[in-house]
Amino acid sequence: MPPFAGAATTALLCPYKPPETSIVTLNVGGRVFQTTAQTLAAAGPSSLLSAPPSFIDRDPDLFASLLALLRTGRLPSSAATDDISDLAAEAEFYGIDPRVLHSSSSSSSSLSLRRSLLLPLPGRDPVAVLSASPSGELLAAHGSKISSFDFSLRRRKTILTSLPAVDSLLSLRNSSLAFAGAADFPGLQILDLSSGTLVKTLNWHPHPSAPSATVQAVCEAADRQLLFSSYESGRRNSSAILAFDLNSGGDFRPVYEISRREIFGAELDSAIPATKLKWVPSLNLLMTAGSHWGPSGVVGNIQLWDVRAGGTPTAIFNLNEKDDCFADVTVSDDLSALFKVGANSGDVFMADLRKLEAGEPWFRLGGGRWNGGKNEGKACRIESEGRQVFCSRGGDIEMWSEVAMAAAPEFEEKVMRRNLMGREKDMGGARILQMVFGGKRMAVARSGECCVEVWESSDRS
Amino acid sequence: MADSSDGGVPPAQIVQPTGNHRIKLNVGGKLFETTSSTLQVGGHDSLLAALSSRHATENDEREPIFIDRDPEIFSTLLSLLRSGRLPSAARRRFSKQDLAEEALYYGIEGRLRSALSPPPLMGINATLASTIVPAAEAHPTALYAGSDDGSIWIAHGGQISAYDSNLNHSGTVRTHLEDIASLRCIWPEIAAIGSLQTPGLHLYDVSSGRQVASVNWSDPSDPRVYKARVTAIGATEPGYNGRRHIFAAFECPHRENCILSVDRSTLQIVSEIGRLSGSGSKTSSPGKLVDLTEVGGGVVFASAVSSGAFGYSGYMRLWDPRTGKAVWETSEPGSGVRSGRFGDSFADVDVDRKEMAIYKVCWKSGDLAVADMRKLSEDPWLYLEERSAALRSAGGGANSIVSCYNGQVFVSRESGLEVWSRAEEESEEGEGDAQRKKIWRRNFVDREDDAKRGLIRGMEAGGDRLFVCRSGVEGVEVWESSNFSGAICLF
Repeated sequence: MPPFAGAATTALLCPYKPPETSIVTLNVGGRVFQTTAQTLAAAGPSSLLSAPPSFIDRDPDLFASLLALLRTGRLPSSAATDDISDLAAEAEFYGIDPRVLHSSSSSSSSLSLRRSLLLPLPGRDPVAVLSASPSGELLAAHGSKISSFDFSLRRRKTILTSLPAVDSLLSLRNSSLAFAGAADFPGLQILDLSSGTLVKTLNWHPHPSAPSATVQAVCEAADRQLLFSSYESGRRNSSAILAFDLNSGGDFRPVYEISRREIFGAELDSAIPATKLKWVPSLNLLMTAGSHWGPSGVVGNIQLWDVRAGGTPTAIFNLNEKDDCFADVTVSDDLSALFKVGANSGDVFMADLRKLEAGEPWFRLGGGRWNGGKNEGKACRIESEGRQVFCSRGGDIEMWSEVAMAAAPEFEEKVMRRNLMGREKDMGGARILQMVFGGKRMAVARSGECCVEVWESSDRS
Repeated sequence: MADSSDGGVPPAQIVQPTGNHRIKLNVGGKLFETTSSTLQVGGHDSLLAALSSRHATENDEREPIFIDRDPEIFSTLLSLLRSGRLPSAARRRFSKQDLAEEALYYGIEGRLRSALSPPPLMGINATLASTIVPAAEAHPTALYAGSDDGSIWIAHGGQISAYDSNLNHSGTVRTHLEDIASLRCIWPEIAAIGSLQTPGLHLYDVSSGRQVASVNWSDPSDPRVYKARVTAIGATEPGYNGRRHIFAAFECPHRENCILSVDRSTLQIVSEIGRLSGSGSKTSSPGKLVDLTEVGGGVVFASAVSSGAFGYSGYMRLWDPRTGKAVWETSEPGSGVRSGRFGDSFADVDVDRKEMAIYKVCWKSGDLAVADMRKLSEDPWLYLEERSAALRSAGGGANSIVSCYNGQVFVSRESGLEVWSRAEEESEEGEGDAQRKKIWRRNFVDREDDAKRGLIRGMEAGGDRLFVCRSGVEGVEVWESSNFSGAICLF
């Protein structure tokens, strides 16, 4: 949907426009602009343009681009792609809602994502983990450092942490804070990306006398102002998921502790810590998953927690996986389904969130390169974004999308079909560690690479 | 050439306070309208500020002020005054030279310089921005970047080439020396140089290219003291803390050596410090001199390192120039070093004047150690440890060079370049009341490809740039931090 479709229709539907009162004349840096109050209103109520002074001492060329953006909802092609950071700084001066600039990138279909940019990271440490915000800012952890890229990906800032190597990373929505944890070092650190300082360390002690635990995964429930963090004790005999309150004025108070597991005796499989956390906003569900690669193969556990207001959440679904356990699992809010890639078969499976009670939840979508071998899916990663599911196999990415079918009884489940992403020259490459989505982009981390690969959709042929 | 920062300058005001009025300008036929406060951002002695105040006195709606200059570049510079940042389109259209010349005309060159100068140098974020290659015999033998505005002097093949803060070549001087081994600035545009081949300390005017004066060490009572060559020069930046003296280490052909304190203005020898004779590792002529005006009423740090068949040996001393006595000294291998570290003497040392610390790199283990100059003792060294297992083993420290800048320590490892920087951490000792402390972290600055270019022979940091020269490689590498991501387009 064009971002200002709403505003434009109201303007069209309004049959009578008072001619003099709605025309606004502005002098920006010596050039005279004329526009309407409606156009300027698109800049947002807190903008300087909502009550514009008659003269603004700024660059008229940049203002012309911003005005075109406010009028049509997209940047004119005369504003070259490199100038986006200038425009962003100028938009900041005028107090224009940053979403206006974010929505100006034209196409948003996942079907047209192309490998478009490489973002080099300074130093020699390869990229370990990524995090993307919905508006397109990107974080990449490499070694003990975190590099943050602005939404235009033209600017970068790198900060140093005291962690030996960052393994979990999350950028907090609408703030300059980031959460970083390490699998071999205690505590979840809250870092201020703009100043590079440590704000606070969130610790979990399995027992009052025990040392703080290490962090396995983090996830934000933005609509509920909660942060979930999965901890495992240093001795690897206990684990838990803690929820922290993001709303308590920078205090980050722990709210509750769920999924606590302890190992007693030799029952190792009973205490697999969660290494993946996913939030499902429309259903208020938290998915937690962890797996263990042992001599007898892979075993894993998937749980869904009902996180409604008030009280400690309860697990409404618990699945222990033994045969063809997941190598990776994710949940899609738009498709209301869990997706996993089987560690043995390499096949992609789907489980409808509304039919979880009925016996075997998984429906095989296929896709594995089945040749009787084992561990076909071992290094595969699976992620969902919108109505698509992305699965990496080695250095390649395949995308599963739902085909909209006329209601037909022969199809019990959703019809999902897959495509390999990219052109021939994009194939291969180092093994994919992670895919993250934000700002209509996909960012990919590959094993051993000192850069982040960015896929964008483009209208250019 | 990489892009640089936005400059940390506050934006021009939007709302018009009293006394701030609109001004119309006609630059080369193009009309501009701005405010007097914007024009005054460039400094009160700029041409633009003068125009705005002249207009203010006549205070009426007049014809625009006409300036017969190029309107496109003016538009860029006006943008700079308004927002404190240069539009990225301008960086592509105009060279730094174009902008600098036009800014000089309007008298806002300081403003432009702060917008073009790189952001604070962070080793974890620095990339190779450019390489400066002088026109002829471009193998650097000495560097000076102490003026801290991003400019550098390079000594190469008996010449001194000067590069300004935009790294534009501003001149080359041929000196009478064949091989300049030490180079310092003692007055603006006056360089003090020394050579290991030719005797004497020589002063050159870099702008006019003339030799100004020479200082030689002689002793009327000892005829053997003659033809002394300069092994090191220690001088604070001109005007720094009002230090009137410069220091130079002289060495005679028969290895007798001393540090001479020389008056900056009269160039008369004021005193002779630490006269030593002999060729032992504890008595050789210093290879590094640092004037520490802040420590103990003004001491001079001198260090000498030599490497032989059994490894490295050397000494560090702090001399008090008033008494001519050493107030602290350590020599390695030997005095004070704990037994586990014996034989692991330092390969290079640098002094952080701001943080009052001495950093050394050990040749055998490659470890980096720090000594607090406020708490010097027989063994003041604190060895820095890296927490990440992958980076813990530093490799050897032979040929390593240490250079401190902005609270960071840059260390070369043969051809690789690493940085030690500090990160904050909360320790958990006190329950409830977490203790904050800073820990040292080791990181590589360069990539593996960068390290293939050759052994690092010299490093000098200044003006948020790190200058690196390599053995057998022409030119000087310039490492800078950048706010730009350097994204590579794959289309």
